[in-house]
Amino acid sequence: MSRRSSSDPSDRFEYLQTLVTEFQDTDSDEAKEQVLANLANFAYDPSNMEHLRELQVADLFLDVLTEENDNFVEFGMGGLCNLSMDPESRRVILESGGINLVTNCLSSRREETVLSAITTLMNLVTPSSRSEITDPAILQCMLRFSLSQSPRLRGLAAVFLQDCCTEEQVARAQRQMQGGQTALGIPLPEN
Amino acid sequence: MRSEQSRSMCSLCLANARPKQPTPSTFQNKILYAATQSTALVLERGAIILKCVNRKRISINMAASARNSSSCWDVPDVYKHHEQQKICISRPKYRDGRKDKAVKVYTINLESRYVMVQGVPAIGVMPELVQLCALYGAVEEYRPLDEYPAEDFTEVYLVKFQKLTSARAAKRRMDEKSFYGGVLHVCYVPEYETVEDTRLKLQDRRRYVVRAVQSKAREKKQREAVNEETTSNTGPTSETVIPRRHKTSDNDNAEKTSNISHCTDFPPLPLPPREYNYFLHKSHHETVPTEDKMGTLHNAIIDKNQQKGHSSSSSQSLLGSDTECRLTSSQPSAVVRFVPRTTHLETRKRKLTDAAVHSPTYAARNNETLIGPKLPEPPKVDMEDESLNTTVSLIRSTMKQVESVPVPKPVEKKLKPRRRI
Repeated sequence: MSRRSSSDPSDRFEYLQTLVTEFQDTDSDEAKEQVLANLANFAYDPSNMEHLRELQVADLFLDVLTEENDNFVEFGMGGLCNLSMDPESRRVILESGGINLVTNCLSSRREETVLSAITTLMNLVTPSSRSEITDPAILQCMLRFSLSQSPRLRGLAAVFLQDCCTEEQVARAQRQMQGGQTALGIPLPEN
Repeated sequence: MRSEQSRSMCSLCLANARPKQPTPSTFQNKILYAATQSTALVLERGAIILKCVNRKRISINMAASARNSSSCWDVPDVYKHHEQQKICISRPKYRDGRKDKAVKVYTINLESRYVMVQGVPAIGVMPELVQLCALYGAVEEYRPLDEYPAEDFTEVYLVKFQKLTSARAAKRRMDEKSFYGGVLHVCYVPEYETVEDTRLKLQDRRRYVVRAVQSKAREKKQREAVNEETTSNTGPTSETVIPRRHKTSDNDNAEKTSNISHCTDFPPLPLPPREYNYFLHKSHHETVPTEDKMGTLHNAIIDKNQQKGHSSSSSQSLLGSDTECRLTSSQPSAVVRFVPRTTHLETRKRKLTDAAVHSPTYAARNNETLIGPKLPEPPKVDMEDESLNTTVSLIRSTMKQVESVPVPKPVEKKLKPRRRI
């Protein structure tokens, strides 16, 4: 195939489709990583949202979150972070059980993965999902993050705690932490 | 604490950017360090700033309250996202970009108004550097990062842009570029953001995405409305309008008829038939970040509704239809960009030959007398899988396109008449 895609933007859907097909068909982990990163970056541009929805790329990203390969998880999580800015994609992610999968990524050793997970959780907050996302376990995790060495982690966790939950919820989580209940042993990511 | 730090920091600040700051001097009040300032003024300001800064060790403005005692002697941490990653060389050709890049995903967390520039030659070119940055947007603050590990004879600067889009543009344009004999390495440094910065960044991003998606949906509806008007004029082909990929077929139908003058969004000039419609929407021009094929961002003046899906043919096969109704083989885009005339001509030729290929089948469907042999129908292979079917038709349509492209003739040089002296 000759070079296509953005030289002619009308081929964008075809190009994205080709990427998805390659990801599904290839055996090479390296190629998978490249394609995944490519798709995740495309998810940053709102004009691609519809194509990506049609190609069910959100599900693709969710699927890779459970992979052993840390790069897969990081890129997939990044893709979800980008996608979840779009309300329609957000709905898709929520319907596919995204909250649990994303929450699991909070315990990743990769800082980028964790940051993407926090942002995605914030994006996924809707009136119906709020209670699930502000579960005490998650709040305690965020409280630990807000004491982290990493300024980015601290900042994002702080935004989460300030914007997504009430002061009462935070206070309760703090009390629970001090009361000996650990944050489920979620380790802080290395850099 | 923050306001005290700000006072000691000499920077070009916007008066309203920091509400807690004491009223800045009238000089600082006037700032937007934009590229439109005259050089003399720039240098004058640069000199004043230099005097103020005077290589003061300025404490790093850390994000959260936990580290209250960050002293100016703290060495800034070198984070992984500051480092340049290895460039990927193993991409297959079809997705190999114009420029070799590393495999990396950019999210809103990684991007920031704060940018770090490494590799600046230590020859006193800070004003020039800031001037260069200002080409991409207003610079709010800048300062040298003396403590940051730097190569010999180079310096590292922190630059804070007023807008994230400016930082994005600056990073894209300045990274890896040579500057007074050195090579700049530009990266985002979101760790310098305050909690408020981060919050605003996320809010802005969400708002932008929602707006962009909404306006795209709106324009899609507009085009669908236009499409419905025009398809009623196209007779038998109206049945070929497939709702799912409606938006991809609208432009085709508009091309089939020349009745576009009644559409108010279209440019006033009547377009030749089967020509691309490059919508010159006046209302939605703005510089927004768009992606090149590698998914990295750049600033381009686009229409909000760029990149319409192409594959009318593949979408139709998705629906399992046996119709030969490929409306056109390629989609016009609504991107405002310069396309050279030869491209126009070639695509028009291609479309005409495509139409010639397809017309016998239309005729057959309409039960008209067919002159000449009917083209053999390609065997319909059902792979029993949506994506495989799509891929198959994709390959088929590509083959068709490849076959139909005429060999471009070499451009004949026009002989200029010699001027007789």
